[in-house]
Amino acid sequence: MPKNAEDAIVKMEKVNKWFDDFQAICDVDLTIFEGERIVICGPSGSGKSTLIRCLNGLEQHQSGTITVHGTELTGKDSAVRQVRENVGMVFQQFNLFPHLTVLENCTLAPISNGKLDENAAHEKAMEYLERVQIPEQADKLPGQLSGGQQQRVAIARALCMEPKLMLFDEPTSALDPEMIKEVLDTMVSLAEDGMSMICVTHELNFAKSVAHRIIFMDNGRIVEDQPPDDFFERPKSARAKLFLDQILSH
Amino acid sequence: MRSSLDLRFFELYRSQEYLGLLLDGALISLGLTVAAGIAGFMVAFALAALRFWKVPVLDYMAAAYIDFIRNTPLIVQLFFIAFGLPMLFGYVWPFWCHALFALTINFSGYFAEILRSGFASTQKGQLEAAAALNLSNSTIFKSIIVPQTLIKMFPSLSSQFIFLFLTTGVISEIGVEDLTHAGLYIDSRTFRSFEVFITLTALYVALALTLKAGLQYLFARTLGRRMA
Ligand SMILES: Nc1ncnc2c1ncn2[C@@H]1O[C@H](COP(=O)(O)OP(=O)(O)OP(=O)(O)O)[C@@H](O)[C@H]1O
Ligand SMILES: [Mg+2]
Repeated sequence: MPKNAEDAIVKMEKVNKWFDDFQAICDVDLTIFEGERIVICGPSGSGKSTLIRCLNGLEQHQSGTITVHGTELTGKDSAVRQVRENVGMVFQQFNLFPHLTVLENCTLAPISNGKLDENAAHEKAMEYLERVQIPEQADKLPGQLSGGQQQRVAIARALCMEPKLMLFDEPTSALDPEMIKEVLDTMVSLAEDGMSMICVTHELNFAKSVAHRIIFMDNGRIVEDQPPDDFFERPKSARAKLFLDQILSH
Repeated sequence: MRSSLDLRFFELYRSQEYLGLLLDGALISLGLTVAAGIAGFMVAFALAALRFWKVPVLDYMAAAYIDFIRNTPLIVQLFFIAFGLPMLFGYVWPFWCHALFALTINFSGYFAEILRSGFASTQKGQLEAAAALNLSNSTIFKSIIVPQTLIKMFPSLSSQFIFLFLTTGVISEIGVEDLTHAGLYIDSRTFRSFEVFITLTALYVALALTLKAGLQYLFARTLGRRMA
């Protein structure tokens, strides 16, 4: 894997973010390369969501620099839109548009962003719905689908914009246990295709088998940044050890 | 003691003239309500959009307008438009035009407030998903916020519309020959107040239920299909 700074798809330098006077992100430096798969974990409130939301401009950092695919997120609308063109996101609560069919959820962005005409967008949407194995649900409304199916639609919807980087914020946390696997399988197959991914998740098996690096956060800081084997076998920080003990004891 | 209620109850309905007045009145009430409802809804939509987009200056003007309309009696608005403004501008319109204008303004204030709160209550997750998909603000508004608001607020809009329909009787005060006007006229000619007003009541109930069913039908065939 190339490791020249110019190949970085995400570069964060000395990034800080406050909510009023609470600091949610502290001095974060992070470089991610094309094709890398990153899993972010850490205790609740440690800033995992805030970190990845800064990468597509859903949150605005206050100091430091964030560059995504060569575009610096300065807070300017044009920069944010430029970055979002290449970054897809999947949320814990799916956030499908409930009044649009599965197919319409997938075609809305490509059509209204002028990326594809209606026919091409349909074709592409069906292609990705097949990828996530629910083409037969295309004409249903999200509310008629199970949680696992909805999350797979959400993944297909993001993929229809042909992103170069996918962000996942605890995509399986809102799911019943029997549906977690179908979503993780979808993510694994995406990983196998070489998609660059940043996933906030506590699914350790997924992390072990798919991630190139595990980032462990605590109190808004990146405390560890290691390959999974090292992280799980030899965590350096006491905080990460405690966290792993707690998770593994479940 | 003999009640004045007796078999003459039905005499009212033997009079072609009275039946005709009631029918015309019902049609005028219904027609003006529907016309004012449509026009008022369009004005309301514009007002709510100005508020949602926080358009400088116009936002505050829209807010003031909405508050003003919702905090003055319809009859005062009506008289102001039918008698007040014409003194200022010297226009002469048929009665029904004054009524339509006043009702449109009145309806728009109530609808605007419902639409505004609907726009503002769009779920944060919906807006974030839309933003992450790089949708433009106008697409987010048009394709996400507006349809979700209309779906969510349909019951409020519908019951507000029916309620406003029931207040339209005051247009009889400026001489519009609506259903209430017909009732009052027949009453003044026959003094059969009980029969007249129970008839009016029944007619208003029937019209209100018809309007409600009509709206429900339209909704079920359009946006209602988009509810899981
Ligand atoms: N919009 C906001 N306003 C104020 N504080 C916020 C906001 N969003 C997050 N925070 C705070 O910032 C901190 C980090 O939040 P964040 O959601 O990033 O944590 P997280 O690591 O994703 O936690 P979880 O595992 O619970 O999802 C928390 O203390 C949270 O309360
Ligand atoms: Mg979170």
